[in-house]
Amino acid sequence: MKKILLFVLICLFNTGLNAAVKIDITRGNLEPLPAAISDFYLDNPDKFSEKLKKLNLETNLPKVIKNNLKRSGLFYILDKKSHIQKPKLSHLKPRFEDWSLIKAQIMISGKIKIDEKNRLRVEFRLWDVVSAKEIEGLALFATPKSWRRIGHIISDKIYQRMTGEEGYFDTRIIYVAESGPKDRRIKKLAIMDQDGANNKFLTLGNELVLTPRFNPTSQLVTYMSYFKNLPRVYLLNIETGVQEIVGDFPGMTFAPRFSPDGKKVIMSFAKDGNSDIYTMNLKSRVVEQLTSHPSIDTSPSFSPDSRFVVFNSDRSGFQQLYVMRSDGRKVKRISRGKGLYGTPVWSPRGDLIAFTKIYKGKFYIGVMRTDGSGERLLTENFYQEAPSWSPNGRVLIFYRETAARKKGVGASSKLWSIDITGYNEIKLKTPSDASDPSWSSLLSK
Amino acid sequence: MYKSFSLSILFHTFIIIFTMFTMPFVVKKPIDVPPIIEIDLIQISDKTQLPFAPKAKEIIDKIKEKEKERLVTKQAPPKIVPKEKLDAVPLPDNIKKKIEEKQKKQNPEEVKEKIRQSSEFEKKELFDPNKIAALIDKSKQEQADILAKKSLEITQDQDNTVSLDKGLTITQEDAIKAQIFKCWNIPLGLPFDEDLTVRIKLKLKPDGSIMSSEIMDHARMNRPGQGFYKVLAESALRAVKLCDPLKMPTTGYNKWKDLQLNFDAKEMLKG
Amino acid sequence: MSLKNIKNLVLVVLLGFLISACATSSRKPGQDYYTGSDTVKFLASGVPDRVFFATNRSSLHSGAKGTLNKQAAYIKSSGISVVVEGHADERGTREYNLALGERRANAVKDYLMSQGVASSKITVISYGKERPVNPESSRLAWSQNRRSVTVKSK
Repeated sequence: MKKILLFVLICLFNTGLNAAVKIDITRGNLEPLPAAISDFYLDNPDKFSEKLKKLNLETNLPKVIKNNLKRSGLFYILDKKSHIQKPKLSHLKPRFEDWSLIKAQIMISGKIKIDEKNRLRVEFRLWDVVSAKEIEGLALFATPKSWRRIGHIISDKIYQRMTGEEGYFDTRIIYVAESGPKDRRIKKLAIMDQDGANNKFLTLGNELVLTPRFNPTSQLVTYMSYFKNLPRVYLLNIETGVQEIVGDFPGMTFAPRFSPDGKKVIMSFAKDGNSDIYTMNLKSRVVEQLTSHPSIDTSPSFSPDSRFVVFNSDRSGFQQLYVMRSDGRKVKRISRGKGLYGTPVWSPRGDLIAFTKIYKGKFYIGVMRTDGSGERLLTENFYQEAPSWSPNGRVLIFYRETAARKKGVGASSKLWSIDITGYNEIKLKTPSDASDPSWSSLLSK
Repeated sequence: MYKSFSLSILFHTFIIIFTMFTMPFVVKKPIDVPPIIEIDLIQISDKTQLPFAPKAKEIIDKIKEKEKERLVTKQAPPKIVPKEKLDAVPLPDNIKKKIEEKQKKQNPEEVKEKIRQSSEFEKKELFDPNKIAALIDKSKQEQADILAKKSLEITQDQDNTVSLDKGLTITQEDAIKAQIFKCWNIPLGLPFDEDLTVRIKLKLKPDGSIMSSEIMDHARMNRPGQGFYKVLAESALRAVKLCDPLKMPTTGYNKWKDLQLNFDAKEMLKG
Repeated sequence: MSLKNIKNLVLVVLLGFLISACATSSRKPGQDYYTGSDTVKFLASGVPDRVFFATNRSSLHSGAKGTLNKQAAYIKSSGISVVVEGHADERGTREYNLALGERRANAVKDYLMSQGVASSKITVISYGKERPVNPESSRLAWSQNRRSVTVKSK
C-alpha cells in the first residue's frame, strides 16, 4: 500500500515539472577555429591562357586565403594532406563526414573559370561542417591580374562571417625600405600588399624619406623627404608618380598625416627650436595653426570622427600624450604612467589610442582608452616604435630594430604586427629592412 | 666622486658583515616535510555551483586515464540503482559512514593524489565534484546492490524534494556543463562589453542524443548591427551539435528531456 | 676564526667584487653629454666643429659654450656662412627626435648670435637620428650622436 501511494506521489510531482532545466554555459575554448580550405576546382582550364595556367590558381588562390586566415591567429588551417575529399567533388556539395573526420568545423571550397568577357570568375562557398550546411556563397569577378585581390576579398568575407568583424586583408602597407650601413642609410618609399606580395618602390633612394601615410580616400600618399637637403612634407600620387611639396613653410615640416576625410594634411612645423601642429586644406591651401606652445608638439593623429586630435608634446618637461579639439582648443593630457610616451595613433574604431612608450631603457607598444585609462602594454623590446592600425582596429603594425654592435654590425629593422589582445605577434616579410609602416584602409571601400 | 666611493665601501662592508653572519646558517637548515592531511569528502549538494578550473581538470583527467581499469561509465546498466543518487542526496548517517570507511580502505592512493593537487593550486575550484563522485562510485560498486534496495525508497522520496527546486542536481548539471565547455569554440573576435547571451532550447532523447535544437532569440540573429550575436549563436549551435549525443543521467529523463542552455561568453572574453 | 668562517669570508668578499663590478655610470641624469675628443672634427685649426648634449636636453654646458665661442670668433673673422646640424641618438621616437635635433641646432644658433654672428650667416637643419656618427648601440655611441655640428655652407 505504501509503495503504491509513493508511486502516485512521484508521478504527480514529475508531471508538475514541465519547465526546461536551465544551465548556464560560461566557459569554452578560446582557440582558433579549425578550418579546412580545399584546393579550388578549375571549371574550364582549356580556356585559360598559357600565362594563367602557369599561375596554378587552383592551389595558389586558396593559399592566399589560407595564409591570411592563419596569420590572423583566429583560424587553425588544417593540413591539406589530411583532406579526404577531392576538389572535383567538394566544390559541389562536400561529404561532411569526410571533413568532420579530420576535425574541421568549417570548410571553404571554390570554383574558378574564365567567363565570356575573359574575366576571372571565382565562386567560393563557406560550409558549416558541424551543422552540415552552407553558410555563405559568393561569386567574384576580376581581371586575371588581380587574382590575389580576389583571394583577399574572399578572406575578408570569411573573416567577417565567422568573427562578426570586418576583415583587413584587402589592404596595402606603405613603409620605408632601408638598406646600407647604419650611418649612411639608403631609404626608399615602398608599398606592398598586406601579405607581403606585389612589393613596389616609389622613390629611388637618392634622398632620405620618412614616416609615409596613406590618404584614406584616394591614391595620394604623404611623407617627409630631404629632397634638395630641405626636410619638408610632400604629397605623392601613386598612380601618376607626381610629387609636390605641401605648403610653403619657411622651415622643417614633418610627421604628416591625413584627416579622415582625406581633405587636409596635419603635420608639425619647426621654427627657431619650437615645433607646433598645423593643418593645411589640400584644395584651398589654407593653413591653420593648432598649437602654439614653446614645447615640441608633434605626431598628431585625428579621431575617426575628425572632432579630436591626439598628439605628442613635451610641455610638461617630458614626452606625453595630449588630446585637443580639432580647432586646437581644450588641450588635455591623457598619458598617466611613468616613462615617455610618443607616436599616438587613434584607432579607426575610435575606441583606443595606440602609442610607443619608453621606460627604463625599454621600448613598449601599448594601447589606452581615449581618456588615458586602461593602459595596456602589448610588447616589450630593445627598440620598437610607430604603431599603425589595421582598418578594423584589431591589429597593429610597427617596426623593430635590433641593437648594433661595433661599426653598426648586426643592426636590422623589420616590420612586425600584433593583435590588440597582445597575442599573435608576427614578423612581416619584406625584401629588405623596413621601418615606418602605415596601413591603408580597405581597398574595396 | 669620492663621496660615492666611500659610500660604496661602507655599503660593501655592511653587506660582507651581514652575509658573514647569515649565510652559513641558511645552508644547514633541514627540509621540512609537510604533514599528511586528512580530507573529509563532503556531500556535493551542500555546495553551490563550483566554477571550473580548466587546468586542474586536465590534470585530473590524466590521472583518471591512468586508472582506467577501475573506471565505470556514468551510464550504468539500468537494472542497478544509479550511483549518482547515492551521493547527491544526504544519506542516512550509518550508510554514509560505511561508504566512507570502505572508500578510505580501498583507495588510499586516490585520496592522496587529490590532496596533492589541493596543495599545489588552491581551494574549492579544484574540487570537481563530478570526478570525485565517480571515484567514490568505483569503490562502492560491490556495496551498490546491497544499499540500493534499502535506499531505493529513501532516495526516491528525497529525490522528489530535490526535484521540486531543480530538475537536475548540481552534480548532473556540472556533468553537462563539462561536456559543452569542451565542445564550444568561442569566436575570438567578439566585443566583451555587449550583451552576448545566446539561449538554446534542446529536446533530448532518452539516450542523450539531441532531437531538436532551437535558438530562442531567433529574430535577433538577422537584425542589422547584431552581427556579433549571429556569430556567437552559430558557435553555440556548433558546440551543441559537436557534443551530440550528450552523456545524461540514466534516470529522471522527464527532468532533463527539455534543456535550456544559456551561452554567455562574457567571462571568457573579458580577459 | 675557524677554517669554515675564513672560507665563508673569502666567498663573500669575492661575491662583493662581483657585485661592485656591475657599477653603472656615475653621471647624473642631465649630465651624460660626451666629453671626449673622438669623432670631433675641426672647422679650422683649434676650432672644434661640434658640441654634445645630455639625453633629451638641448642646453649647452660650459664646455660647449667654450667651443662655440671659438666657432663664433672664427665665423666672424673668416666671414663664412655655416649650416648648423642638429642630431639625436637612437633611443627615442623618430619624429620627436627630428624636433629635438632642430631644438639643439637652434640652441647653438642662438648662442652664436649672442656672440655676435649675424643670423644671415647661419642656416639650421635637423637630421633627427638619421645620421649617427657612431652606429653602435652603446651608451658611448649614443652620447657621441647627441650633437650639433657646424659645417661650412656650400
